[in-house]
This record gives sequence, C-alpha cells and structure tokens, in this order.
Amino acid sequence: MSSYSELIKNFERIRAYMREFYVYGFKSRDDYNKKSARSYDDERRRMESILGDHMSFLRTPEGKNVFISIDSRTSRHNPFYKAWKSKSFTDGDVTLHFIIFDILHSPEISYSIPELMRIIDEEYLSYFDSPMMFDESTLRKKLKEYCEEGILIAEKKGKRMLYRRAEDISLSEYNDLLDFYSEIAPCGVIGSFLLDKTKPHKNAFAFKHHYITGAMDSGILAALFTAMRQKRVVTVTNHSSRSDEPRKNRIIPLRIFISTQNGKQHLIAYHPDFNCFRSFRVDYLSNVKLEDVTPRFDELRAMLDKMQGNMWGVVPNRGRRGKVHTEQVSFTIKVAENEDYIVKRLYREKRNGTVEKLDDSTYRFTAEVHETSEMIPWIRTFICRIAQMNFSNRTEENRFKADLEEMYKMYGIKEDEL
Amino acid sequence: MIFSELYSAYYNSVAEIISKLIDGERDERVLRKIVSEKAFGESATTILPSLKSGKWQLVRHDMSTILKHKPTVPLTNLQKSWLKAVSLDPRVRLFGVSLKGLDDVKPLFIPDDYYLYDKYCDGDDFEDEGYISRFRFILSAIHDGVPIKINMVNKNGKEVYAKCMPLRLEYSEKDDKFRLITDGCKYLHTINLSKIRSVGYCGESFKHIEREVRYDTVTLRIKNERNALERCMLHFAHFEKRAEKVGKNEYLLHVKFDHKDESEIVIRVLSFGPRVKAESPDSFVELIKKKLLAQREQNLR
Repeated sequence: MSSYSELIKNFERIRAYMREFYVYGFKSRDDYNKKSARSYDDERRRMESILGDHMSFLRTPEGKNVFISIDSRTSRHNPFYKAWKSKSFTDGDVTLHFIIFDILHSPEISYSIPELMRIIDEEYLSYFDSPMMFDESTLRKKLKEYCEEGILIAEKKGKRMLYRRAEDISLSEYNDLLDFYSEIAPCGVIGSFLLDKTKPHKNAFAFKHHYITGAMDSGILAALFTAMRQKRVVTVTNHSSRSDEPRKNRIIPLRIFISTQNGKQHLIAYHPDFNCFRSFRVDYLSNVKLEDVTPRFDELRAMLDKMQGNMWGVVPNRGRRGKVHTEQVSFTIKVAENEDYIVKRLYREKRNGTVEKLDDSTYRFTAEVHETSEMIPWIRTFICRIAQMNFSNRTEENRFKADLEEMYKMYGIKEDEL
Repeated sequence: MIFSELYSAYYNSVAEIISKLIDGERDERVLRKIVSEKAFGESATTILPSLKSGKWQLVRHDMSTILKHKPTVPLTNLQKSWLKAVSLDPRVRLFGVSLKGLDDVKPLFIPDDYYLYDKYCDGDDFEDEGYISRFRFILSAIHDGVPIKINMVNKNGKEVYAKCMPLRLEYSEKDDKFRLITDGCKYLHTINLSKIRSVGYCGESFKHIEREVRYDTVTLRIKNERNALERCMLHFAHFEKRAEKVGKNEYLLHVKFDHKDESEIVIRVLSFGPRVKAESPDSFVELIKKKLLAQREQNLR
C-alpha cells in the first residue's frame, strides 16, 4: 500500500524538484536518476497537487516531461508559496493545537499544565468514544514549542508556571501593504502567511519583471538573515555545480545580493579559512547552522561596503592577502540624433563607473571593476552601436570580439552584406 | 522556522471549517469549497474525512464542533520580525499605516542586509510627499472602483489630461517604478506614476475597453557552454515557457511574451552572445540581424 501523502516533513525534498520543474522543465522521468523512480513519482504528484494548473506536460521521444510554466506578470501571488504550507503533522498535533488555543482564547486566561490536562480530557476529548490520550510530556513539549514561536507566553506565579496566549496584532489595515511586500520583500512567503490571516479583499497590485524562484530558498535566506542580525558564523553545505560533492563551509555571512534581472540570490560571505570574500548561490546552499558570535562582523561588512564600489555583479575582490584586484573596462557607443534614450540607458543602468560625452554622437563608459566578465552581458545589449572598446583584461576583450564574429556567422551575416 | 504546520494550508482550512460550523453551517459543499480554496488538489480526501471520522478530535459525528470559539492564533515571532523588517523599508510610507505592537520586536533583516545590485538607478521618488499622496489617492480609487482624472507629463514633456478607470498598480523591481494600469481610456493604458502631476475624482462613468494582449513566442536555441543553459533558463524563468532537449548539448526554449516588450526581449537575447540563437519568428530574427549588421558597420577591431 502506498504511503504517499500530500504533506511533507522536510522542505528540502521538494525544493530541488520545484527548481528542476520550473527552471528547466525538459527532463523526463529517466533523467532524474539521482533519486528513485518512486520518489520522482511522489514529488511530481505532490507538485501537481500543490501547483495545480501551473503544471504542464509534454510528450517527447524520451518520455513525458513535466514542467511548471507561470507568467509571473499575470500571477498576483507567488504560486510557490503554497509549497511552504505543506508541512506534515500528526493527528495529535492538530487536535492539541486547536484545543489549546480554544482553552486559551483570550490573553487574560492562563492555566498550568495540570489544569490544561484536566480541561482537555474533561471538557473536550470526553465527547469521543475513543478519546485521544495526551501525556504531560507531550503537552509540555507543545507548550514549549509555542512559547518559542511567540504565540504563547509562560509566566511564573508563585511556584506554578502558567501559560497564556500572546497579545495579537490586528492586520485589518495591512491588506495593501501585505499584498505588495509579500511579493517584493525578501522572505515574502512570511507575508503570504500573514495574508492567510486576513479577510478576502481586492488586490490592487501586479508585478513586472517579477522573478518568483527565490521563494523556494526562503528558509535558507531567513537563516542567513538571522545569522547576520546576530553577527554569527555559520556552517553551510554548498552544492555548487562546479563540484560533484556537496561541500561544508564555515563562513561569516555579510550580505545577500539579489538580482532584479534574473532572480538569482547570492550570499557574499567571508571565508576565514582562506582569508577571502566569496560569493555563494543561495539556491545551492542547504543546512545553515548558526554558530558562535563573531567580533569581526562590522569590520568585514565595512570592507564589503568599500568593495561594492568596484563590484558590477556578485564577484568580490579576488586579490589575496588584502590586495585589491581591479580591471579597467571602457567602451564607446554611437548615438543618433533621436536616440537620447540610449544615453539615458547608460546612466540608468550603470551600477558604477562614469559616462562621458565625447562629441554629439559618441559617449564613453568607463569603470573599474573586480571582474570584467560580469559586465559582458550588459555591454552586449549595446550591440549595433559599440564603436571602440578597451579592457585591461585583454582575454575578455578578445573573447567579446570573437563572440561577435561567431554571432555574425551564426546569423549568416557575411562581409558583403555591408 | 518558516516550514511549520502553524502556517499550513491544512491548519488554515480546519480553522475556517470550524468557524463555519460554529456559525451553524453544515452544508458539506460549503465545507468542501473551503478545502479546495485554501488547501491543495488532493486535500479533499484527507481534511473533511479526518474531521468527520474523529481522527482529528475536533468535530463530533453530527458535524458539531467541540470548540467553543472561532479559532485564532496570535502572530508568531517570525511573522512579527518580518513585519518589523518591512516597516524599515522606505516604500512603506506609501501605505500610510503605522505598524503597531512591534516596538520590542527585532527585525528579521534590515535594508543593509541585502542589495538589489542590478536595479536601475532612476526609480520613483518614494519619499516625495506629492508622490505619496497621489499613490494613496489612486490606490483608494482602485479599491472603490471609481474613475479618476489625471494631469500628467507625456513623453514629449507636454502636460496632458486624461480620464480613466484605475485598475491596478504594476511595480517593476528592475525599474523600481510603479505604473498605473487603466481602463476606459483608448490611448492611455499604462501610465508611469512619476509622470502624474495631479489626480482627482471624475464624475464620469467609463465603458470597459477590451484590450487584447498580443503575445509572441520566440524560439531560442541554446548551446550549453559557459553555463548558458542555466543562465538562460533563469533569465527567462518569469515568462510562460517551454523547453526541450534537441541534441547532446543543445536545447530549444520557447518563450511567450507581450509583443510590446519585443525590443527589450531582443536585447536580452543579444546579451547571451553566441550561446543563444533566436530561431523564430523570422521578424524577431531579422531584428537581431539588423542589430548585428549595424554593429559590423562600426568596424570594431
């Protein structure tokens, strides 16, 4: 008999599948060879159950491909948030949860554990032919858990420990704020949990250029933010695509870099073992464990602040022993009379560097960056008007030009077409 | 902890079902609808049967509940700390609400803990009092479903007036701008909020104008070198799309986009260099070729 359940205990199980189905979506069942076929079937079924209409299928000679296709501009709320609401629980958990909050229905009411035990048995479970039995340690554990979550408060009165519910905050005025921030703030899924507590209302917001993949990494992100707020060292497992085996790293998390143009999230951290700053893809990280408080956090973050002036993307200074490594990037573009918007683009889209007007139709952009290759995709968006370039990293400049030649060839553009 | 049953779709469904039972609602269709709206595709086979059978001891056989109050749970520390973090964002002033009860709460993060490194730097001025008051006015008009009149500066720098029905506010994180999406005005469907100078109610009613969005689908051939596959898939992840493997190291990606965004998509495809080639439609390929021909004329050596 199948032990399949819609709910899951460990989010990591579906995190990887969701990413595969959403980001790639061309793999067939056989391509998921890391896991068993049964595991694949269960996760696919679970995704179908959670994401419903967003799941699509395609028959190919290799088999049936399952993928998630979502136009995030037409989706008012991130559909991946639903996966975070699929945590499994026991029959006892759900029964106890609702009974505890029914007994403690107002912050003025407080009871000790023996009192709660008696009320649960006599006033609630006695209605059933075969009532559930909760021992004191189960109740104590549940109350402790809820105190840690901040929804119950334990207060000592004389020798007795009494439990009451915490004061609540009314969300009635926050509908718009929650509709907006649940989509754009880091860990927006928490905003979605709050929205679940509000009454149905009209959502006035939509989003363009909206990347929703980060939702799957909310748990990791929350742990990293907690480490930063507490200035702690963490150990974290990195499943980088560059290495076959996951690697454990002991690092000091300093800041999360988020891209608005591809949705990727990177952690910039200091790696004490190698005395350097490193960038980690958040979607490759798992098992964040908070360790000791570090006295170096403020000093390291100040160093990162300084470094950011030369970071185009997420690659920090690679210079060893504190040495600063920068590369100069310069290119000029031609702009026609009615193309002011191109000049505006230079100013609007540059992240550092300077723009100079050389004459009425020529502008030069110059920047000093830690990693030239990070700028290449942006420079390519000016293809059709790049008149000159001068990179101190000659390899990158030559590669850029070789790529252009390859593109001409790829699109069948011959010399005589000019 | 974010992944907790406290936030689960099942707990939310049970809470709603019990509230309905306390109100005297017993109609199973109504209760099933709660499950289908609040939980997942297969939840109907678990939630109501578990309550009815006494597996979860909250409801009697006659569908009355043993609970005396409609279920509520106070906000968790995690929810409060996220709200506190949000309260530190400069855009929060747009909403005109003061977040109460958070004085002693530590934020989950502060603005300095994250950085949107590729956001454009000419975003809206969210601190501007005039902008804030226009934003609030429009937001309230959207909720009330009332038409408005707008005085704005058009792209040629001229002052123009328009009357329209405000539908929604669209925000782009990349542009860091709000746009107002409207109905009833033939020529003004999307208006940058920063271009609006003044706004007021207008007594007229508007006829809904059906706008058919013209979608195009571009097919891209991806050579998986220099991690191009992953970069491309992530870059276009927010569109409706379909991918297929067509060779040992080659993939086709079909991306559906609003025709109005064609120029933007052209330069986004170009940004991938020779790893990604537009294959169809011909009109799209021609736009790329035109850019490359113009580039060749620049004689870059």
